[in-house]
Amino acid sequence: MSVLANKNTRVLVQGITGIQASFHVKRSMDNGTNVVAGTSPQFSEKEHLGVPVFATVQEVVKNMPIDASVLFVPARAVKQAVREAVEAKIKLIVSIAQGVPVHDMLEIKAMLNGSETLMIGPNTPGLITPDEARLGIFPENIHHKGNVGIISRASTLTYEGVIETNLAGLGQSTVIGLGDDMIVGTDYCPLLTHFMEDDETKAIVLIGKADNVYEQMAAEHYAAMTHKKPVIAFVAGETLTYSAPMGYAADIITHGLSSIQDKKKFMKQSGMIVVEQMSQIHTALAELKLL
Amino acid sequence: MNIHEYQAKQILAQYGISVPAGGIAYTPAEAKRVAQHISARGPWMLKAQIQAGARHSGHFIGNSATPKGGIRQVTQIRNLSYEAAQMLNNTLVTDQTGPKGRLVSKVYVEAFKQVKHLFYAGMIIDTSVPAVTLLISDVIDEDIMKIADISREKILRLPLAYDAPLSDEQIKTILDFLLLDKSYSDGFKDFLNKLRVTFINLDAQMIEINPVGVMRNKKLIALDSKINFDDNAMFRHPDILRMQDDYEEDPRTLKAQRCGFHYREFEGNIGCVVNGDGLALEAIDVIRSKGYSAACALNVKGGVDKDRIAAGIKIIMTNPRVEGVLINILGGFLRCNLIADGIITATQEVGMNVPMVVRLEGTNKEEAKAILNESKLPIVFADNTDEAIDKLIKQMEVND
Repeated sequence: MSVLANKNTRVLVQGITGIQASFHVKRSMDNGTNVVAGTSPQFSEKEHLGVPVFATVQEVVKNMPIDASVLFVPARAVKQAVREAVEAKIKLIVSIAQGVPVHDMLEIKAMLNGSETLMIGPNTPGLITPDEARLGIFPENIHHKGNVGIISRASTLTYEGVIETNLAGLGQSTVIGLGDDMIVGTDYCPLLTHFMEDDETKAIVLIGKADNVYEQMAAEHYAAMTHKKPVIAFVAGETLTYSAPMGYAADIITHGLSSIQDKKKFMKQSGMIVVEQMSQIHTALAELKLL
Repeated sequence: MNIHEYQAKQILAQYGISVPAGGIAYTPAEAKRVAQHISARGPWMLKAQIQAGARHSGHFIGNSATPKGGIRQVTQIRNLSYEAAQMLNNTLVTDQTGPKGRLVSKVYVEAFKQVKHLFYAGMIIDTSVPAVTLLISDVIDEDIMKIADISREKILRLPLAYDAPLSDEQIKTILDFLLLDKSYSDGFKDFLNKLRVTFINLDAQMIEINPVGVMRNKKLIALDSKINFDDNAMFRHPDILRMQDDYEEDPRTLKAQRCGFHYREFEGNIGCVVNGDGLALEAIDVIRSKGYSAACALNVKGGVDKDRIAAGIKIIMTNPRVEGVLINILGGFLRCNLIADGIITATQEVGMNVPMVVRLEGTNKEEAKAILNESKLPIVFADNTDEAIDKLIKQMEVND
């Protein structure tokens, strides 16, 4: 078992013919990912990387079942790509590009609301179940199959988290980057639930950031859970605050949000194990005596 | 991206929002001409155009004799060029500019508007909802920040629908909050809905009208205006992009921006090149925990072009504060070999006169290490963030 994607997950790649997409999708396929189709609006060939290429998602789902879609489309095309995937009722979307306009995210959140789709990202390395499914751009060479789940809101720090679990000799069940942006498709909560229900996952590493309220939401969700596995949490941004645009409105709006200290306090109260530095994660994992 | 007040007012006017008559002036004589053109008689408002708030309570460097700020009311035309001369080509320091202040190169001259009421209106994306959110308060100017701390109930927060105008109920809530009767409904509805359309059509991240004036005829007028736009959406708004004032930006930040990277400066002496905000935050935290602090952080996330990465590294290497460089890359999308090539190109152009510690992990890591080893540059390698910072500090101490 694993979370959201495994070797049987039938993966579509939207924007499969781009240079970056080609590089990373090939690596994913070499790594075992079951990529079954791609889309590209202009591409004239019917095939790329050995899978069929269609003009639209609609056409793809008419021809074959799809479980997940990875979006390698540029930031400005993400809104339309998500719309296509949501309308085709694809259960999982992973959107890689950074720089999606924040107004587009407001519209995307409205599309996702009440839909059957869970969106990871944007601005994320994606999701990886080691040796089975790589939906994104994770450097697969640092991943090892194991039983720690990772959820992170700081893209590159996710890799630090992976390395920490390796140091503890545990490896990963599934690693998920929520995305670095102010507004992302999904927060921690539904993923925490998935990890709690996954037999393979014995513990979870949560990597948060100082801005926004996602960590408070995760703490509340965790506190209310009846079936719990240990969560080791780290929040980045101790000495640096979120930069606000000029004017007062940004300060006013963020004022009610708790500080990083409050975040950590909430997380501790919810039963999470909070570490002060990334490099303490492996010792905290070792203390759980999962091996 | 920020723009000046006078540009923001031009935009509001295009969207049908009332603003006072005004014009921009670059010299004291021009300021006087603009004033005379606007109205035969005063008073006029004279407003220094810098992209920072709290101008009213600010002060000009070297002008301690007249402790007056960047917003002044002038009643007599004969005083106008004198007041303008005090602002133009002088440096204005406010709570938001930092101690260095900003040079004032233009002033905005406006007709003074007599109004019945004043209130604060802000529009911003509350990411915790998430929704475009309207902020209303009868506390105005710089006092708004004080009450944000101590009495939050004095600011009304109203999440707005993305695809619909404000409802009558929302207008009523606002009027009740400001203790105004329903005879003001039409004016408020008109003004706030136009503000909402401006916000959404132009991909704004924040619009702040501090203050809005309510006139005798119960119509509303924007007496001040700040607009901040989403950089990521500027491809849709080339006309707004042209409004960017390069002189308002720090040259190194601007260079990084042109490369598509984020760059921030701090007070310390370690220059950091990382990919990803989280990695930057972590590096800064760890550096701090060891008694040092960062000079700057460059985030090259998403970089795929060797020349741009070299340009980015050069920004760090040529920052005079930097006494040691930490390069901490966990490559996924960004391949480590590009970083290695970028380091070599940058050092060929600007030399390498401070210690550099490199930590690379992820995509094409071995290839990158081979490239750097072959270059014979005096680079120290590390396997994790902690070790990298320890090694860098050690090198920097040896250099002292």
